[in-house]
Amino acid sequence: MQIYNAPLRDMRFVMHELHGSAAHLDRIGKSGVTSELIDSILEEAGKFASEVLLPINASGDEEGCHYENGVVRTPRGFKQAYDQFRESGWSALAAPAEFGGQDLPDIVGKMVEEMQCSANLSFSLYPGLTQGATLALLGHGSDELKARFLPKMIEGVWSGTMNLTEAHCGTDLGLLRTKAVPQEDGSYRITGAKIFISSGEHDLTENIIHLVLARLPDAPKGVKGISMFLVPKFLPTGDNKPGPRNGVTCAGIEHKMGLKASATCQLVFEDAVGWLVGEPNRGLAAMFTMMNAERLSVGIQGLGVAETAYQSAVHYARERLQGRALSGPRRPDLAADPIIVHPDVRRTLMTIRAYVEGCRALSGWVAQALDLEKLGPDPETRRAAEDFVALMTPVVKALFTDLAFETSSMALQVYGGHGYIRDHGMEQLVRDARICMIYEGANGIQALDLVGRKLPAHMGRMLRGFFHPVQAFIEANAADPRIMPLARAFGALQQATAHIAQAGLKDPEEAGAAATDYLRLLGLVALGYMWARTTQVAEAKLPTANGDASFYQSKLTTAQFFNERLLPQAGALWTAIKAGKESMMALDSAAF
Amino acid sequence: MATFSKVAVIGSGVMGAGIAAQIANAGVRVLLLDIVPKEGGRNSVAEGAIARALKTDPAPFMSAAAARLVEPGNIEDDLARVAECDWIVEVVVERLDIKQALYRKLDALRRPGTPVSSNTSTIPLKTLTEGMPDAFVRDFMITHFFNPPRYMRLLELITGPATDPALARRVADFCDVALGKSVVACHDSPGFIANRLGVFWMTSAVTEAPLHGLTIEEADAIMGRPFGIPKTGVFGLMDLVGLDLMPHVNASMQGALPPADEFHAVNRDVPIARKLIETGYTGRKGKGGFYRLNREGGKRVKETIDFATGEFRPERRADLPELKAAGRDLRALFETPGRVGAYAWKVMGHTLGYAAKLVPEAADSILDIDEAMRLGYNWKHGPFELIDQVGADWLAAKLRADGFAVAPILERAAGRSFYRVHEGKRQYLGLDGAYHDVVRPEGVLLLEDVKLTQKPLLRNASAAVWDVGDGVLCFEFTSKSNALDEPIMTLLQKTITLVRDKYKALVIYNEGRNFSVGANIGLALFAANMAAWAQVEALIATGQEIMQKLKYAPFPVVSAPSGMALGGGCEFLLHSSAVQAHAETYAGLVECGVGLLPGWGGCKEMLGRWSTDPKMPKGPMPAPMKVFEMISTAKVAKSAAEAREMGILRKADGITMNRNRLLADAKRRALSMVDGYKPPEPREIVLPGPSGKVAIEQAVQGFAKLGLATRHDIVVSGELATVLTGGRTDIIDIVKESKLLELEREGFLRLLRTPATLARIEHMLETGKPLRN
Repeated sequence: MQIYNAPLRDMRFVMHELHGSAAHLDRIGKSGVTSELIDSILEEAGKFASEVLLPINASGDEEGCHYENGVVRTPRGFKQAYDQFRESGWSALAAPAEFGGQDLPDIVGKMVEEMQCSANLSFSLYPGLTQGATLALLGHGSDELKARFLPKMIEGVWSGTMNLTEAHCGTDLGLLRTKAVPQEDGSYRITGAKIFISSGEHDLTENIIHLVLARLPDAPKGVKGISMFLVPKFLPTGDNKPGPRNGVTCAGIEHKMGLKASATCQLVFEDAVGWLVGEPNRGLAAMFTMMNAERLSVGIQGLGVAETAYQSAVHYARERLQGRALSGPRRPDLAADPIIVHPDVRRTLMTIRAYVEGCRALSGWVAQALDLEKLGPDPETRRAAEDFVALMTPVVKALFTDLAFETSSMALQVYGGHGYIRDHGMEQLVRDARICMIYEGANGIQALDLVGRKLPAHMGRMLRGFFHPVQAFIEANAADPRIMPLARAFGALQQATAHIAQAGLKDPEEAGAAATDYLRLLGLVALGYMWARTTQVAEAKLPTANGDASFYQSKLTTAQFFNERLLPQAGALWTAIKAGKESMMALDSAAF
Repeated sequence: MATFSKVAVIGSGVMGAGIAAQIANAGVRVLLLDIVPKEGGRNSVAEGAIARALKTDPAPFMSAAAARLVEPGNIEDDLARVAECDWIVEVVVERLDIKQALYRKLDALRRPGTPVSSNTSTIPLKTLTEGMPDAFVRDFMITHFFNPPRYMRLLELITGPATDPALARRVADFCDVALGKSVVACHDSPGFIANRLGVFWMTSAVTEAPLHGLTIEEADAIMGRPFGIPKTGVFGLMDLVGLDLMPHVNASMQGALPPADEFHAVNRDVPIARKLIETGYTGRKGKGGFYRLNREGGKRVKETIDFATGEFRPERRADLPELKAAGRDLRALFETPGRVGAYAWKVMGHTLGYAAKLVPEAADSILDIDEAMRLGYNWKHGPFELIDQVGADWLAAKLRADGFAVAPILERAAGRSFYRVHEGKRQYLGLDGAYHDVVRPEGVLLLEDVKLTQKPLLRNASAAVWDVGDGVLCFEFTSKSNALDEPIMTLLQKTITLVRDKYKALVIYNEGRNFSVGANIGLALFAANMAAWAQVEALIATGQEIMQKLKYAPFPVVSAPSGMALGGGCEFLLHSSAVQAHAETYAGLVECGVGLLPGWGGCKEMLGRWSTDPKMPKGPMPAPMKVFEMISTAKVAKSAAEAREMGILRKADGITMNRNRLLADAKRRALSMVDGYKPPEPREIVLPGPSGKVAIEQAVQGFAKLGLATRHDIVVSGELATVLTGGRTDIIDIVKESKLLELEREGFLRLLRTPATLARIEHMLETGKPLRN
């Protein structure tokens, strides 16, 4: 049974206690957003997630989306849930006030996002893509386009999409073929076919605003010849109502492993009217504003799914009676002990818990940087935050989603055979989680982005925002023996970083061979640092915690588990990285 | 070696003054004469020339002391004083009547047998000596310097059939050893070698570019890098030498060359060049040339002439995929279909064909042609080296297809290369069709040649060790830009043991453009960004340890720098038993520029030198103050002579004028120290401590108030002041070297942890310019 109650206590801990929301909000000039306000928003969002979104998660999966004659019907209950979502103002939460948003900081927005993903990943994609499209438009659109489209999108009346992929090009966008022909009135006519377009067609909103990558007639070859266009499903009328149908149609939807309630569409553009967003041939840069935001969001999706998997597994482990504890019966009054008494079940639950809470802490740190990037008090702070977000984007995306699949599968294991049948909804979580490792840049690409772009940029400048605080923390706590696992893992990370920088300079394949292990290594250290800081905060709070003592005590124990049983993987990863590409690249392709 | 103790230079224009300065740079007195002007002092022309030279950048003089060796005079009152001189150089206006009239006077006044030479570039020796007395003709030759005489290493020497070979030899020796020139013997043919070929190449490149539909930037991109030619290409070079010069040179060439010469075919009128000259766009010395910097509206916009409109437009970087595709394969470039390949071939293919004809027309051997183009036009490869890259046969066949007369030496090559290495010797193809050894002048020792005969004794990714004979080893940096890194230190460690056990002395020398621009700060920055402080500290500690080992090695260590010796590179000089520096050595401790301080003993050594300098005032304060002044401003000596004034070179350290003689001189120096060599005694000095630091800091605050020191300058100076004043030391304490090294290490690491220093390093690496934050 899918169980989800928003982990409000942990969210408050991460936001207020671990990352000091009060000082942060002060720094970004939002001291008006009080912790009481934040807490009540989180509470409401949690309620909405578990009361509105969770109930239609399994049914939506069962029913899926339906396509007929260019029309896509979402599963039962989705339209009502979406209307409620919009009416409650969730779509406008972190959007700028200038266009009708509530202007709340990202530290709040990302937590609300996590709850929606926990409760119903498929549903979360509809508003999620609108949010990404909003960001791209905000960053690159003309004032006219912004005024015309943003208010409706932020209100949630219109939704958004991003159209990159074509049948022959996914990762390699340089091969893109969709054309855009300039018209005398300053608009463009777009022609081409796109695939894998999430929320490309559906019945939730009155209009859909597509952001489409296409080539101008005189565009240079490759990625330097791609421009971005805004193409609405219905051309807005003078009073901004959906007017005549534009030349974009849905030719079908994909039948997928999971995420079935999210419509993944094939879109055909035939002489569709569009407007240029940003500068000609600079579309990829504009789209990357959206992509980067989406990549972080996909990481949050992973975290969300893992949380639900964890809660569901804990629920089952407490209820399911099988066998006896190895040290003798715990519940002689019952026919058998609940399986939570077994060390291996505990290993499973502790592992998921340590990852999930660690990832939440890390996402809180990155969300802070998202705020600082925009609202930091000086250029140095803003640039440092931008560097940090750039470094952590591939890590959050790939680490969180790899872990989501691993941990949801572990949670399924707790259910035994009952996890493998559909009734309990555990296999849905595994299936849903699986896409997160693939879309918005497959995780292998994320790893390449990390070692190939982020690591060498400006002679390692992007590393600074992460490596310096970790090193300083280790130095400051050198006397505490509990710092050793982190110190060792960080040492391995530093060595691996130097190794890749050097080996990769001579031979890019060496960097490529190390990439995935390196990303995991960096991710583990990041989680280790979060746990070390968590330990410090929890210890300081514990003496005066009163009723909350068990919360802090659990934090300390989970931190210990992470330190002792998960963080040591860092050593193995470094050993693997050091081995180099040889055994990976040696076999002739025919020998496979 | 021929030593002249005084030289007369007649004519004090840019070239005359430059030649006079270079002779003075060699420590030789100069009598610089020019005409008596209608107004002003009788010597004012020559005096003005010296004053201008002192303000010129790049500087013709290597030191203020050198400038004092030049005595101004005038040809009316002082001409008789040429009798005091051992050599008379004529650098007057290019007019035969004026030159010959001067020669007649000189012939009467000079001591018999005194060599007289002209710096003419356009008048043949045969014409100059026509009708002159036999004794004068016997002592006369052409010594053709290139502009600027201090920096251009080429000297073309033209003698006539009657010139006394022994006398010519003496002048050549002086130019070689004392003035540091590579003397190339040329025939008495128009333009001699470098200009004959250079003008052909430039004229052809300029006229062909618009005909091939290329922009100026594109033409320069094709004519520059792919051929190992400076990236200024041709149009950039024209701007540098002056557009207005070209019509004169071309006209003289046109008049002097026989009608069948291929130059006439390429020498066409270029209306756009004419228009530029007429409107004052004579090149960089004027308002600009083919390129200009438009400062209108307060902005600095780089602009270029557009061939189509004849007007300036914003500079457009050349983007030619053809060049990337061809890579380093010149034949592929020549054969590339389209305008890029066609232009490359038409200009450079024909230039190579023309070069081949200059043997024997302008010179006896291909060696002279190649040397002249390398040193006179800064080509990385001479024309025959370029021909070897494409193949003589291939070139000949393609020239023939164009109807371009193929030179005999190309035919003679017949599938062979012009250069080869045979039994460890570099050889070249002679006009006789046989290979001959490349023979270096006596006293020239090149690592380049040593490498042909042996494998390095030790080597790793960043350094190599060679046996240069007589028990002397040569340590060569081989890393990119000779940046100093861990492998260099590791290999030095091994080398020190090797020399101690089996050899007599060590020379640190290389044949890169620069001795070393210092530690690899890219690596340091990366390590700092990932907070690998322990690794950085180890790098500094290891460096310090190696420097100390060099200093106290039981054998002489001689550093022989040329070009830049900055930061860590300079610290090598400071820790050597002796330095034999090329005159064009630019040394300095520049760490403060990137927000750091010298961490490999640079502070320690400079303090030691200045605190023991007998000319310094007494007390613990003057030395730290003096050293602070130099290091905090990242001052770089603009010559070896200036490095000596700064205390980077000691009095006993030697200076070599000729780059090619540096290794031999350094080796000789090292061997001279072997007998009875004792390493120096460790220095112990008295430093002022905190009170001294306060004094320095007050001075810095003063600079900050004047806007001369930035916010981070204050931080950096503060750390530097701590080191130079001995940290917490007291005036009654004696500070040991180990203490100073510790202070250097700590200060360096503290600075490296500041974001402002990291920003400086990053900026320097990415833009090549210092960040003033």
